[in-house]
Amino acid sequence: MFLQVSNLSKTFGKEQVLRNLSFALDAHRMMSVLGRSGSGKTTLLKIIAGLESPDNGRVELEGKAMNETPAHLRNIVYLYQEPLLFPHLNAFENIAFGLRLRKWTEADIRQKTETMLDHLELNGQAKKMPAQLSGGQRQRVAFGRALIVEPKVLLLDEPFGALDTETRTAMQQLLKRMVAGSQITTIFVTHDLKEALLMGDEIALMQDGLLKKYETKADFVQDARTGVQEEIGFWTNIQSR
Amino acid sequence: MLKTMLKYTFAGAVLFPFALLLVFSFGQNWRFPALFPALWTMDNWQLLLTSQSDLAQSLLRSLSISAGIATAATGLGFITAKHIAYHPWRQQWLTLAYLPYIFAPVILAATLQFFFLRLGLAGNVPGVLFAQLLIAYPFGVIFFTGFWNDRMRAMEQLSATLGGNKRQTFLRVLLPAAQGALLVCFFQAFLISWFEYGLTTLIGIGKVQTLTVKVFQYIGEANIFHAALASLLLALPPAGLLWVNKQVLFKTS
Repeated sequence: MFLQVSNLSKTFGKEQVLRNLSFALDAHRMMSVLGRSGSGKTTLLKIIAGLESPDNGRVELEGKAMNETPAHLRNIVYLYQEPLLFPHLNAFENIAFGLRLRKWTEADIRQKTETMLDHLELNGQAKKMPAQLSGGQRQRVAFGRALIVEPKVLLLDEPFGALDTETRTAMQQLLKRMVAGSQITTIFVTHDLKEALLMGDEIALMQDGLLKKYETKADFVQDARTGVQEEIGFWTNIQSR
Repeated sequence: MLKTMLKYTFAGAVLFPFALLLVFSFGQNWRFPALFPALWTMDNWQLLLTSQSDLAQSLLRSLSISAGIATAATGLGFITAKHIAYHPWRQQWLTLAYLPYIFAPVILAATLQFFFLRLGLAGNVPGVLFAQLLIAYPFGVIFFTGFWNDRMRAMEQLSATLGGNKRQTFLRVLLPAAQGALLVCFFQAFLISWFEYGLTTLIGIGKVQTLTVKVFQYIGEANIFHAALASLLLALPPAGLLWVNKQVLFKTS
């Protein structure tokens, strides 16, 4: 397996956030993780990214244990709900940030960043500062900044939570297209049922510190705990009135 | 019309003390109720240019002490505040940082003078530097505690997952993001040191004559012309720093 998470446990104070959590993910796949607030989604992603240490358990990437590898050497990018653009850098420099850290040549940085701006449909916005961009544009820049370094795994923590419905739909499509194009293994965390179904090639439910990965989306739909049946019931009732 | 009048009135109110000090710094022989001195001279200013002049030495000493204090308080405060902000005992550490402000500087100095004497730090510049740092360093810590918030931590973590090591993250993310705050802190710590009188007088035991101490000395001697000159010199560096601060902050924003 490309990404293997085994028996992860994490406790904050008296609260056990992760309970012997395990799952595996193949390369170039996007897994949606549905979960309510406080279900341990963010902690799971932060442990995979190397931003938190587990109390127990292992994270393996391409068969190599990652527990002792610091975050900056994992090549696993973690994106927050907020775009968190660096306020002192314009859109171009925000996207090019990871390439500058890797000391690419100026010509290569320019060429690759301009291509990325093009893919993100941000032509003409390169010199704008974060405060001058709309919410959707800021989120695009954040994606560009993550994708340009070609991470082995991309971790998305409710990335569209702060966007309006229309922008959210457009961003979902853009992300799917870009991730598919770049073949990056992705974990997409959300509390939105429809978004979880739409975004993932694979789907999982996170509840009380445990993660259940479903064989098929049909299995996910059938499981009463996911809330899909409840949702279907709601719309059926509305329609029959 | 009213707006313009208000603008000029405000500018006049700000500039009037400077103008008055400037006028008196060129004067000699003033008697009440005359509006201006009877004699105009460059003698007071020429005093500054002589290498043995106390005033010139005080000016240089004050500039060095204040620049040193501002640099140390800003740098140390920035780093220390980060550790405190993310520490589980954040509140307790912060309470410690407020401790020097419980007493007036003079009382603090009187309390500490014995220890300074025993350590050989009384009556010399290193002692005054250390004493002023006791006030300015906690100020830097308190000032930057708000800067190190969850958002800044998230940015730091984001930079790490994008491949930035601690040094790169510090130089490319944290330092530029803090540029405005660093400037303001430097400016304010400079002012704390620049106008510090109580601690400097007691720990310096009259041997470390900063410009502020000199102004009080001239006033005590009823030497209004030298006091005016020293006061003008005292007001100019903060005014210059304020202008630089404004330029940089407006450029940044």
